[in-house]
This record gives sequence, structure tokens and C-alpha cells, in this order.
Amino acid sequence: MNSENNNYLITLKNLTKRFGKLAVLDDVSLSFEKGKTTVIIGPSGCGKTVLIKHIIVLLRPSEGEVYFHNERIDNLHEKQLAKVRTQMGFLFQSGALFDSMTVEENILFPVMQHTKIRDRAKLQEIAKAKLAMVGLDGFQEYYPAKLSGGQKKRVALARAIALEPEVILYDEPTTGLDPIRSDVINELIIKLKKDLGITSIVVTHDMKSATKIADRIIMLHKGRIEADGDAESIQNSPSQVVQRFIKGEISEGDIQSMQVSFEDIKTNGKK
Amino acid sequence: MAENQQKVTMIELFGAGVIRSVTNCGRFARFQTDSLFASAAACVSPKTYSLIWNQMLAIGVLSVPVVMITGAFVGMVLAIQAYDQLAGLGIEEHLGVLINLSVVKELGPVLAAVMLAGRVGGALTAELGTMNVTEQIMAVRSMGTDPIRYLVAPRLIACLLLTPVLIIYADFLGIIGGYLISVPYLDINSRAYWNFSASGVELWDITIGIAKGFFFGAAIAGVSCYKGFHCREGAQGVGQACTEGFVGSFIIILAIDFVLVVVFKAIYASVWPVKLLL
Repeated sequence: MNSENNNYLITLKNLTKRFGKLAVLDDVSLSFEKGKTTVIIGPSGCGKTVLIKHIIVLLRPSEGEVYFHNERIDNLHEKQLAKVRTQMGFLFQSGALFDSMTVEENILFPVMQHTKIRDRAKLQEIAKAKLAMVGLDGFQEYYPAKLSGGQKKRVALARAIALEPEVILYDEPTTGLDPIRSDVINELIIKLKKDLGITSIVVTHDMKSATKIADRIIMLHKGRIEADGDAESIQNSPSQVVQRFIKGEISEGDIQSMQVSFEDIKTNGKK
Repeated sequence: MAENQQKVTMIELFGAGVIRSVTNCGRFARFQTDSLFASAAACVSPKTYSLIWNQMLAIGVLSVPVVMITGAFVGMVLAIQAYDQLAGLGIEEHLGVLINLSVVKELGPVLAAVMLAGRVGGALTAELGTMNVTEQIMAVRSMGTDPIRYLVAPRLIACLLLTPVLIIYADFLGIIGGYLISVPYLDINSRAYWNFSASGVELWDITIGIAKGFFFGAAIAGVSCYKGFHCREGAQGVGQACTEGFVGSFIIILAIDFVLVVVFKAIYASVWPVKLLL
């Protein structure tokens, strides 16, 4: 059990999350392997973002446990969590850059908070290196408002890797970007894994991105795991839900419900 | 589903309301306790000093003009309003006591605080509220930093320390404003004006006026930051949080003022006899 555990960096055990009476995650158990890229796919509202926020304990589970390096973290106090969180980087869907700070100040925020480095030249060097890694060196003095959507995400990624974390959690990294900018992000995720050996957990509904970057794909549906395997096995999954998601088709039931409502409108209009 | 909704009785609605209120009170109390501890910790950690300085500039220095204008008008209005009655009794030279006492004890502190609740409180709620809805506060947490310590503590400390100072400015301009209307405009004898003022206004009066500032400052920062941290999503959510923040701090300022007046009066009465001013 233990030797097997050593390959896993993060483990979720019977995770359930309820908002009021609604169970967004329903008894999910998962382990994430060290140095691999795991992609969690699923339609909007299936609980992907909620799941990824539990890994860094931005949300606390209603039931179940979260382990990092085989130590339970979901019951830790915020102060104790600080240390765990410095070992993880979180890329928010919107980027969540501090808009009152420049790009450089944004990247140096975690560095200033958690290290004793105060030498101006050294700090600038760190910011430059991180920005170069995402291909945005020279943008140090820009404010986030001046950046495009893709640039914001890249700066946010540079900030997420500022403390050289073991894990990076990506929340919909390619959403809202055009296909070329999406591919830039995909390449960055692959590069970070290759160069720095970073473990990545990516939440997305972009199938193209998922197949490109994933070592393993997990499909969530209605708060439960619907499928789990590499890109190929997901493509060949017998599950109707998975196939519909991959092909981007809606279910018969949904089509029927839409037709019913249109017909209602027509008949009401005639009356 | 619709049937279930119909079955909700008035008692259940009342119960839900009570539970919500108790939850909100608990959340507010926890937020304030956390802020208090975080502020105490921030005072002894040099890392946060630069943040406090920045907030002092935004909250304190940039508020000086509006607070001074508020104070000046208060003094001037009081002079015009009270003159006729006092002149009718032939005691218009006592005008200075009335104006200066009202300004330093009540109107200066309270109106300066209300002005700050609008200027500073509104800005705090809007800023933190926007950070909240754009996930910036969660980003602070995700990077292992306590957002209360990083965002609330410097604002709370700056408000707490600078509101009394701003009240001194309001008092000062209130006194000047009252003087300018009373002496040059209403032709009251300058020497008599100041003599009566000096005998009527005690150090105690000025002290309690300034002491109120600490409480008002804490109330403004506490309520505004809380509202910003807990605002609902969207532009409407931020707007609503600002309104609630301002109304909340305004009411709390008046309530605290009432409590402090009762307390300070009891302290005064237990030490000194009541002094008649006329």
C-alpha cells in the first residue's frame, strides 16, 4: 500500500461537497501521480472547479479527505495550510491577477510573502526568469488591464510558478482564448512538465487541449467519475455520456425538452 | 417542486430568517476577531509597515481636504444659526462656547467620521469587493497568504490611527469657520469670544472628541472590509455591498457615539461636578 502510495502526490478519498442540498461532488476518490499531467474533463457545472479547489483546500469538503504527500490537509488550519499552498500553484480561470500591481509586482508577490529575498536586483532577476519562461519578458511594468486574455493567463502562470511549486492546478486554462493562444498555453503546460518535472492537474472542457497534454484523463459527470484512462481509452469509451461530450452532442432528452418548450410557445401564441 | 414551495409556512420563513441573521452575526464577529488579531500581529511585523504606509496615504492624507471642508462649514453654520437667539438674550459673546463645544465634542468627530465612511469606507468596500468577485482574494489565499492579514489589517490600522488625526483637522477648521463668521461677520468682540470659549471648552471635551475617532475609525474599516469580503457576485453585488457598508458604518458610528456619550458623561460626573456654562 505504502510503496504504491509513494507514486501519488495527491489523494482524494470519498470526497463529497454539498452546497445546501445540492451535492456537487458525490463520493469522488482519486489519486494524482507525481510528475504526470492529469486532465479532468466534463461539462460546465459538473463540479470540476469545485474539485480542483478542494485539492488546494480553498474549499473544505462536506465529507471525505484530501491528502498531500500522504498527509491529510483538508482539516488543517489556514495558517498550517499556508505551507502546503506554497508547494502548489493555482492558475485561476480569470487569471486573478492583482490589478493594482504591475506584472512584476504580481509575480513577486508570493516571493515577497514567503522568502527572505529583498535584494532588488535578485528580485528583478526572478521576475525576468519567470516571465521569460512564459514568453513575456519585457512586460514587467505593464498593468494587468493592458494585457490581453492570453497574456493575463501567462502572467498568472508565471506567478503560479514563482515559488517553484511541485504541483500546478490549472482551472480552465484555455477557456476564452482563440485556438492559437490556447495552443500556447498547452505548450507551456507540456514544457513545465518536461523542464521542471511539475505535476499538473488541469480542469477543462476543451477536448483538443485535453488530448494534447494529458497523461491521464478523468471525466466527471454530475459529481461522479464517469471515465478514467489515457486519451485513447477515453476516445474509445463505451459510455454514452463520454462519447456525447467528446463529440459535443447533446442528449436526446435535452433535444426533446427544447422541442416541447418551442411547441408550447407556438400553441400559446395561436391561442 | 412547486408543491414543495407552497408548503413553506410563515414559521419556516421566520425560522430561516433567524438562522440567516444568527449566521451573519457569527460571521461578522469572527471576521472582526480575525481582523483584530491580524492587526495586532501586523503591528509587530515590519513586513507590513509599507502596506500600512500606503493605506495611510490613501485613507488619511488624501482625506484631509474633505474633512477640513466639512469642519469649516459646520462651524460657520452653527454661528449663523445660533447668533439670533443669543443676541436676543444679549449674550451673543457666549457664541464661541456654543460653537466650539459643539464642534469639538460632537459635530466635528461625528461629521468627519460620516465623511470618512463615505470617502474611505466606500472605496474600501468597492476595492475589496471587486477583488473578491474577480477571485483576487482567493488568489491571495491560494498563494499561502492570509488575506485578512494582508488586506484588512493595514486598512484597519490606518483607519484606527488616522481618524482621530482627521478629527483634529475637522475640529480646527470648525473653530476657524465659527470664528470667521462670529467675529469679522457678526461683529462679536474678539477678546470676549475667545475668553468665553477658553473658559467653556475644557481639555476633557477635546480629548473625548478625539478619543471617539479611534472607535469610529475601527467601525468604518471593520464594516467596510467585511462588506467587501462578503459581497455577492457581479457589479450589482459590489454596488450593493458599498451601499450596505456606508449605511452600516453610518448607523454604527451614531450608535457608538451614543454609547460613548453616556460612558464619558458618567466618567466626567464621577470626577468633576457639572459645570454650568451660562
